[in-house]
Parts: sequence; structure tokens; C-alpha cells
Amino acid sequence: MVAVSPLLQRRLLSTGVTKTHHKPHRQWSIKQVKKSNFADTLEDIKSHVSTSDFVAVSLQNTGFYAAPWQRVSPFDIADTAYLKAKYAAERFQVLHFAVCPFTVRASKVTAYPYNFHLFPRAELKMEMPSYSFYCQTSSLISMARQGFDFNSCINDGISYLSREQESAAKIQIGNPMLAKNVTKSTSIHSIADSVFIERIKSHIKNWKKTCKETSTRKEDALVRSLRKLVLGNEEYDSRPSMNIDVCSEHQAQLVVEMLQEFADDVVPLIIPAKGGATQAVRVVLTSSKEDKDLLQGKLQNDEQELMKKIRGFREVIDLISASQKPVVTHGSLNDLTFIHSKFIAPLPPTVDEFMCSLRLAFPLVIDVNNLMKEISPMRKVTNIPVAISQLKNRFFTPIDMEIPCQAMENEDTIHGQNVVKICELFAKLCSILKINPAAVQSDEEKQASALEAYANIFSPFCTASEEPINGDVKIWANNTRTVSCEDLVFLWGFGDRVTAGMLKSLLQESHEAFSKEFDVRLVDNSCAIVIFWQCGLSETFLNTMNKCSDMRGPLREMVSEGLRAAGYETYNRACRLGLWESRLADSLDRALADPDSASKADSKTKSSDICNEWIINLDDL
Amino acid sequence: MSKYLKVKDSAEKFAVVQFGVCPFRWDPLRLSFIAHPHNFYIFPRQEVPTDSSSCEFLCQTTSMDFLAKYHFDFNACIRQGVSYLSRWQEDEALRHLNLRYEDELSEQARDVPLFSITDILFSERMKNRLREWRDGLLKDTSGGSQLEGSFLNDSNQQFQNIFYKMRPALSLNGFTSHQLRLIQSVTKKHFKDLAFVRVEGESSCSQQLVVYTDSESDRDLLKKEVMGDYRRQAEVKIKAAIGFRHVIDLLSSEKKLIIGHNCFLDLAHVHSKFLGPLPFEAEEFVHSVNKCFPYIIDTKILLNTNNILKQRMKKSKTSLSSAFLSLCPQIAFASNESCNLTFSSSVKVEVQLDDTRSSSWISGVKHEAGYDAFMTGCIFAQACNLLGIDFKLYSPSENLACNERLQKHANLLYLSWINGDIIDLSTGHRTVESLRCRDLKNWQTGILFENIVLIWGFPSDLKTAVIKDRISKVFGPTSVTSVCRLDETAVFVQFSKSKLVADFLLVKETLDRSNDAFSVLHPLSTILEGGNTCAASYETYKDICSSPLSKVLFADQAQAVGIRWKTKLVERKEEVEIEEQDHFREENAANTISFYMEQN
Repeated sequence: MVAVSPLLQRRLLSTGVTKTHHKPHRQWSIKQVKKSNFADTLEDIKSHVSTSDFVAVSLQNTGFYAAPWQRVSPFDIADTAYLKAKYAAERFQVLHFAVCPFTVRASKVTAYPYNFHLFPRAELKMEMPSYSFYCQTSSLISMARQGFDFNSCINDGISYLSREQESAAKIQIGNPMLAKNVTKSTSIHSIADSVFIERIKSHIKNWKKTCKETSTRKEDALVRSLRKLVLGNEEYDSRPSMNIDVCSEHQAQLVVEMLQEFADDVVPLIIPAKGGATQAVRVVLTSSKEDKDLLQGKLQNDEQELMKKIRGFREVIDLISASQKPVVTHGSLNDLTFIHSKFIAPLPPTVDEFMCSLRLAFPLVIDVNNLMKEISPMRKVTNIPVAISQLKNRFFTPIDMEIPCQAMENEDTIHGQNVVKICELFAKLCSILKINPAAVQSDEEKQASALEAYANIFSPFCTASEEPINGDVKIWANNTRTVSCEDLVFLWGFGDRVTAGMLKSLLQESHEAFSKEFDVRLVDNSCAIVIFWQCGLSETFLNTMNKCSDMRGPLREMVSEGLRAAGYETYNRACRLGLWESRLADSLDRALADPDSASKADSKTKSSDICNEWIINLDDL
Repeated sequence: MSKYLKVKDSAEKFAVVQFGVCPFRWDPLRLSFIAHPHNFYIFPRQEVPTDSSSCEFLCQTTSMDFLAKYHFDFNACIRQGVSYLSRWQEDEALRHLNLRYEDELSEQARDVPLFSITDILFSERMKNRLREWRDGLLKDTSGGSQLEGSFLNDSNQQFQNIFYKMRPALSLNGFTSHQLRLIQSVTKKHFKDLAFVRVEGESSCSQQLVVYTDSESDRDLLKKEVMGDYRRQAEVKIKAAIGFRHVIDLLSSEKKLIIGHNCFLDLAHVHSKFLGPLPFEAEEFVHSVNKCFPYIIDTKILLNTNNILKQRMKKSKTSLSSAFLSLCPQIAFASNESCNLTFSSSVKVEVQLDDTRSSSWISGVKHEAGYDAFMTGCIFAQACNLLGIDFKLYSPSENLACNERLQKHANLLYLSWINGDIIDLSTGHRTVESLRCRDLKNWQTGILFENIVLIWGFPSDLKTAVIKDRISKVFGPTSVTSVCRLDETAVFVQFSKSKLVADFLLVKETLDRSNDAFSVLHPLSTILEGGNTCAASYETYKDICSSPLSKVLFADQAQAVGIRWKTKLVERKEEVEIEEQDHFREENAANTISFYMEQN
């Protein structure tokens, strides 16, 4: 018995790999959507979303975390986990967004997958949707391995604006907008207001009269232009119009209100000033009621067309949001923070605000990971293909996937299968957990709530059944033992050669706090967590570290060499202040150094990437 | 110094995705240069774990669009781009390897404490198994009976008999890492002649073996051997990861003359990607670059500082492509023989791609790094020709940089092109280019930053000419040198004397405060109309721009930065202080670097 020479084995292995590499067991054809075919696809996906029960989404980003400690860990409470996800969502970019409306009936899944290629294009020259973003080389390489086409993404990717960016863009474009109909305010006007209204009213009456007269009367060109000058007449869309300058939003309101008297043939338009306020109200005189409706319709139409162009891919997000269908994801915290920051609005500072804001857009978000945690052998599995094959081995849940779509023959379909797998996994899990997914649509209260129990849980490491008690966290992903974060102490300032085991044995002999059961886990190579399984000992230890007295043995030595310790609050603060150094030790040092600079640091949160000075003058190249 | 820090920041954040190298060789028989353009796609692939800061980079959407416009192949770059390690990263990786090697040697002594009863039972069972196996081996060697007892059959293939380095061994499969640790500790504690080793297997999964050794010294020998193997494998991996840096090392070790075009930022990229982290001081950086590349000539410097060339360029633009067009039209337009007569004085350059030679390179794509490098080289060759350097007289060993006509331009780079700030790579000294007359849109004369007032927040329909007119009315017709519009909300006004800056700010402040009839009639009231007009010195402009916030209009930006005052008075300063304006040529996110190597 002689071991096969490693070289030979490697060769055998590698030929095996190349043969099977790019061929997953099953391949579904998935429609690839780019800028060129986006408009056509929109109608299809609209109808598919409205007829389906669920919408599965899956995102591919240019990165996940900037440093090892910045990825969400089991010891993160909801706040810190959210802050980490928020940092990633603000830093990285979505290049690929898969949407798959699907319906589950018994063991049959009907799915309509779409792969959208996104690229934030500065079409409006306003540094929106994004000026710059970070890329993690490993993420790009893994996307390339899955067959992602970067050229087509950058050349033909769909751009987008978030809801908030859209309203900002509207103002900056500065097109006149139709004034919204105001209900007559009941408040009594001040004298100044009344005078103002009366003045404008007579002005308009006058103007209308002359307009009507001149339109019937033949006039000398000179007289007409003089009249134009005197009355401030202009033409708008070949109809006579006049601008009424206003000094405040209140005055604009008054003018619009007053103009309702002339509602038969006068259309008021709001002309926005730079910065969002109203600069003037433009009054357009129409020749008849029909003409007025025509003008209003046209204006509305124009605005909608323009906005549709600006919104780009966000149209799809709005569609899903408007349908109020449950959204199925894999890794909901990560995906939904990205969706919120790119398509809705900048992420709010706390997790609670985020949840509120998100619930308005997507009332029901189901993470398949949360369903998976209910099935004990599946607890640790986070990879979708592995989960599917393990479920297949353990349970008999035949799922029939039907994809009645629609991809072109020659499209490469290697990449973007993930979203279909999420659908499949979701159906399998529902059938194992005896949840009837079809009930979500019907009004069967009991069944619907069965699924809702798993919905809207955004901490990746807790489950529906073990609702997290406030402040309790786990330390290891595959260990259910929990500990209050009060009992955690962060230790740093030891060399980069120390292992958790070495640290533990050093600590064991140095302080009475370590006489009871405790554990050590390295967060990254600069920092470790000490877990005191007995309450209160963490405080004793921290007090000792602060006083430097009654320390003995190796601990004393380590402290003199720069060992530092802090409680969970310091870690939380480092996240809150956005002190995202690449080593956790540096972040904690900074968090300790300026504990009062909360507001200062907040405004600085690393957005310094966007700086006027960096604008490249491409013409100079 | 802030200029260097900005370059440093940019070089650290952005990635280099394409690197052009184009060696030029003088062919004495054909009396022409032979160019060998190379275009390298590079992409940092993290083949060896390094510091986390190097595994991500910033992308600007505009520059991605720009590259896409010039048909940059992103797929080729990401999928097949050549990876690289900087010298510093390589050293770090080797240092870590050494540390780990030492740790592994010392770790042998460590013991795993047995906590639970299952651990104790498991250890006991393993002890028996291993003893059984060892005894079986010994019996076999003495008695000659068949190896492999019943022991193997009942163990779910967890143990497998193999030979390792000419010694009988057991390979352990299907144990958890904790169990393996227990087995290791049992082996150490109870068996003097067994060694527990970890072998780096195929596809990076490691395999654990228990190996039988004849004696304790044999065991130590084996362990050393295993460690050595392990270390060698890792070293091979690190060496393989150096990748594209071999090209840089070659450029450096050959000590040839390197030609770049306005290449300070390029050199900063080279330093941060292939040498090591950029130092905080410009002097240190310059020293380090000079050590690596002792001879550098920047064609932008050459064209702008040499009098003969300045005359030849006749004030035309010195950007790479326009300089190429004006100096080497015969190459740029691939002209035929008849045209060649007009440019009879020019140097001939032939391009060799693979095995074919041609007198021009038509397939070159604008803004492709290899083509940029080629253009830079051609410009340099032509410039030398104009300076009267005769290539025929040069021997291959001689370095052009030492030529008396080029010497005074060697190793000089524009730290900032806009205000002619030049740094000498060999000494670290900085000088300001004298007698600069360059067209900067509206700035006819040199910029004296202390003479500048920044005004913003005035009515947006106010014309630039009106602003100039009104200020001239107050301070005299020659007081205003120029007015430069930043955007519709802000202007720079340059006064002829720095004293006027303070004067202007004072007058404005007074007008803002007084509200009488006189102030309404004052010429400046046009500018101050609306009551939101602010003014300050150039210093404030820098403060406002350096803020992380970014608004489209300057007035909004100023407000966002939190400027609430309306006039910032300055003291009159007598000494001249030159500040920089930011305008460096940059192709962020994706920086194509072009170099030219002289092979005489």
C-alpha cells in the first residue's frame, strides 16, 4: 500500500474538476435584463408579480465586508449587526439583482426568474445614484467565476435612483410641475395675505381679459410685443401664460388656492427654485375645458415619462413594494440593507428606524435561513446548494420546478441560478415544516400566521422560536449556548502570534475572575473576546484592568506590554461612531480615546470618499 | 506637502487595472527605433492572504464609464488579469510563514486538557487502538506474519494504512478537529515512537497521519522533514503569487531609463502596488522611488522646461495625445512615403508586435496603456532628436539620462502640473517652475492664491462681467486681474494686490452691517443683493472643498459644510505663499500606467 504521489493525485483531481466545474446539476433558463430590453420586460414582470404569491430576490454585490471583524458575527446584537450591514451597504454596490416571482401549489413551484444587470450611471450629471463605490477583489473574482459579464454590466447595465434621490432630482431638473389641488384652508388670512390675494386676483383678471381680447383682435406686431412686455406675458406650450413671483411657500399656496376660482380655463404650474422651494407660480390660460384637460394630461404624461426614465430599475422595486407580496431572501439583513440604501433612502442610524422604514415598503420579508434553523440538522448550513442536497438526503420532499419563461437560446445561463434555488429551497422547507405557502394569499388566519412567525427577523443568528432575550448573544455560530453581552470582555494589544488557546491558558493563571468557567475567542488577529459564563466576573476583571493593582503573573506582564480591555459598550460605540478600522483593536482604541465625540464622528463617517477635488477632468486625458 | 498626501490617498484607494510597458531599442542597421508595446491586464487576486486593506479598491462610476467608452475589457481584467504581490507583501507573507513555522515547532509541547468524560473515554480508546497498531507492526517486523489485523475492519475506514516517507503510517479520516487534537495529544503523551504529522494535501485540505518511527531521533527528523516540506510548499505559493511584479523588478534591476508622461501619480501607484505602502513624507517616497528607478525622464517636464522644445511646441497643449500628434505626426497618421519628406528630420520608429514589424501601429487604441506607453516613447525619441542627440553615436551600454542635454531634466517630475510645482526625485528638493505662461481658460496670468477672494451666494443671474465691473468701480480699474466662475453660485476674483483682498472683505463686511441709503447706492450692492452673499479668502475654499460632504452647487456645499458667517476677514500678509489648486490628471479606479523603457 503506497500512497499515490501527490502530484499524480492532483492531476487526476484537476481533470475531474475541470470537467464538472461549470455544469451545475440543473440549469434553468433565466431571462437576462439589461438597459436595452428593460422597458419591454417591465410589463411582463408586472403581471408576473401580481399573479404570484411570493417574490424571491437575490443580490450580488461588489463586496461584503472590508475587514474580517466587520462581518456580522454571532456575538453581534441587533444594533451592531445592523450597523455592520449598513456600513457594507453604503460602501459597496449591487451589480446584479435577481427577482423571481413564484407561486407554490402543493409540490409544484411556478417561477418567473429575471436577472437584472445594474450599473449606477451618472446620467443626470448630479453624482447620483452614486459617485463611487468600493470593490472587494474576492467578490469580483467569485462573480467572474460564476460567469458574470462585467462588460455588459458596465456598458448596458440599468441605472436607477432611490426614492429620495428621485425627489432631489426632480427639484434639480427644475421642470414646472402641476400644482396639486389644495383643499381650501379654513384659516383666516392676515391682512397682508388678503391684500396679496386681491392684487394677484385683479392682475389675473386683467390679464385674462386682455388675452381673450387680443386673441380676437388683429394687432400690430409692435403693439403685441409691447403688451407682452408690460403684462409679463409669455407663451407656454403655445398657450398664453404668466409668471407670478412668490416669496414664500405660503404665498405660493395662497396663489394656487385663489386660482381655483379660475379653474375653468387656468392651469397653475409650480416652478421650483434650486433647493426645493417654490420660485414662482406659472399661470397658463387654456382656451376651453377640453383644452385644459388636454394640457393637464400632457403635463402629467411628460412628467411620468421623465421620472420613469430616471427611476430605471427602481421601477421593479416599487412594483414589488406596491404588490405587498412577501419577499423571500437568503440573508435578509444583508440584502434588505442594500435594497433600502440603494432604492429607498439612505439607511437610518438605528435598527429600529430601519425596520419601521422597511416595513412600509416590504411588510413581510422571509429569510430561508430562519426556516432552516427550525430543522435541527440544518442549523449550521448557510450555503443554498448544500442545504438543498442535504434536505434531499434526509427528507422526501419532491418539488417540481416549473419555469415557463422565456430566455433566449443563446444567453449564458450559468450565473444567476441562485434565486431559483431560493424558491426551491423555500418550497422544500415549507413542506417539511408543514406550512402551506398558498395560505399567505387566502385569508386563513392560522396558516398565514405560521409563516409570519418566521418573517421580518433580521438577526442572522437567532431564530423565531428562541426569541433573543435582550442583550443575549451567541458566541459561536454552531453552538446554541448564549451569554449576556454584559459578560463579554474585549481584549487586545497582544502580539499577532497569540492563539485563543494560548490566551486562555495565560489568563487562567492570572486572575481569580478566571477561576470559574470562561472561554476565549479571537475576533480577528488583533482582538479577542473573553466570555465569562458566570455573571458579574467580567466587571471584576475590567475593574482590575483599570486599576492595575492585584494583577499577577502573565497578565501583569501582558498589560505592561500594551494589553487593553473593554466591555461590550465600547465595541458597540465603535460600530455606532463608524470607526471602521481594518483591525478591531484600532477601532476599539479610537472608541476609548474619544468617548464624547459621538456627534462629531457621525458626520465624518468615512464618506470622505466623495470629495470635489477628485473629480477627474476626462477631457484632459 | 498636502499635494503628496492627496496623491498618496488616491494611489492607495484606487486600483491599477492596466499597465503599459513599451521597450524601445535602437537598431543601428535600420537607423530606427524598434518599439515593443505591451499591455498588461492586472488584477490583485489575493492568492496569498495579505492585509485586508489591499483587497478592496474604490471605483468611480464616471471613470468606469470612461473606460467602457474606450472599450476596456473588464471581463479580461477580472477573469484573467495577472495578479501581483508587492515586495512588502511578499516579505510580510514570508515573515508570517516563518512565525507559523516556529509556532508549529514549539506547539508540539502543548497539551490539550481533558475536560469532559467523553474526551477521556475517546482518548483512552485511541490510545488502545494506536498501541494495537504499533504492536502489530512490531510483531510483523519480528515475526513476519501478515500486517493489518482485525483492527482496521471495525473502524469505519477512519484509519487507513499507508506509507509515508518510507515509514508505516496511519492516515486519519473523518475525525473532528477536536478529536484530532486529542489524538495528537495521546500520541505525544504515550508513544515515544509514534509521530503525529499534518500533511498539506491536494486542493489545500490537509491530512493527518500517525507515523511509526524507529527511534526518538528518527521521530524528530521526520517532524523536521515534514515542516520543511510544508514550508517549501508555502514558499513556492508565495513566489508564484508575485506575478506581474516580476516586470517591475526587471525594470528596476535593468536600471534602464524610464520615460513617463506626467507620471508622479503613476509612480505613486507603482510604489503602493509593487513596492510597499506609501510613506507619509514626500521625501521618503522620492528616495524610495529613486532607489528603485534611478533614471526617470518625464516628457511633460521635458516639453515644458526645455527652451528648444518649448519653441517647437509653440504653446500647443502638452497632454499626451496632443503632444504625440504635434511631435510625431508621421507615426500618428501612418503617413506614406510622400509625406515622409516633410518630416525628414524625424526619428523613425517601427513597431514590432509578435513577429511582424510595421512603421506605425494602427491597432493601437487611444487610452490603452500599451498605446499610451508607445506614444510617450515616440515623443521622447522625437524630443531627443530635436535636441540634437544623435542615436547613431550611442553605444548600448551608455545611459541617455547622463547625456548633457537631458541631464538637467532627468528625475524631475511635476508634483502639481497646474502651478508648476516640480520635485527632484534624486534630491527631494522642490522648485517652482519659473516664467510660466500658460492658458488656463480665464486665468491669463499666474495664480497668486493670496490675491484671491471667493464670493458665493449672490443672485444667480449676476453676470461675471458685472461682478468685475462693480468691484473695479470701488477699487480702481486695475484692481481686478480676473474673475473666474466656479459655478452659477460662486466666483473667484483675483486682485492685483493681496492687500485688496483684505480691503474688499472689510468693505463688504461694512456694507452688510449698515443698512442705510448709502449702502444701497454703493456699487457693490448689486453683488450683495439678496443678503446671502458671502466672501472669504482662498483658504476657506480649501476648507469647504476638503469637507467630506459633496453638493453640486458651491453655495450649497458651503452651507452644508456649516458656514454661517458671511465675511471672513483676513489679515494682510506680506509673504508670498503658494498654494496648490487641484487639477491633477487622474484616471481613477482604473489607472492605466504607461512606461517606456529605453534599450539602447
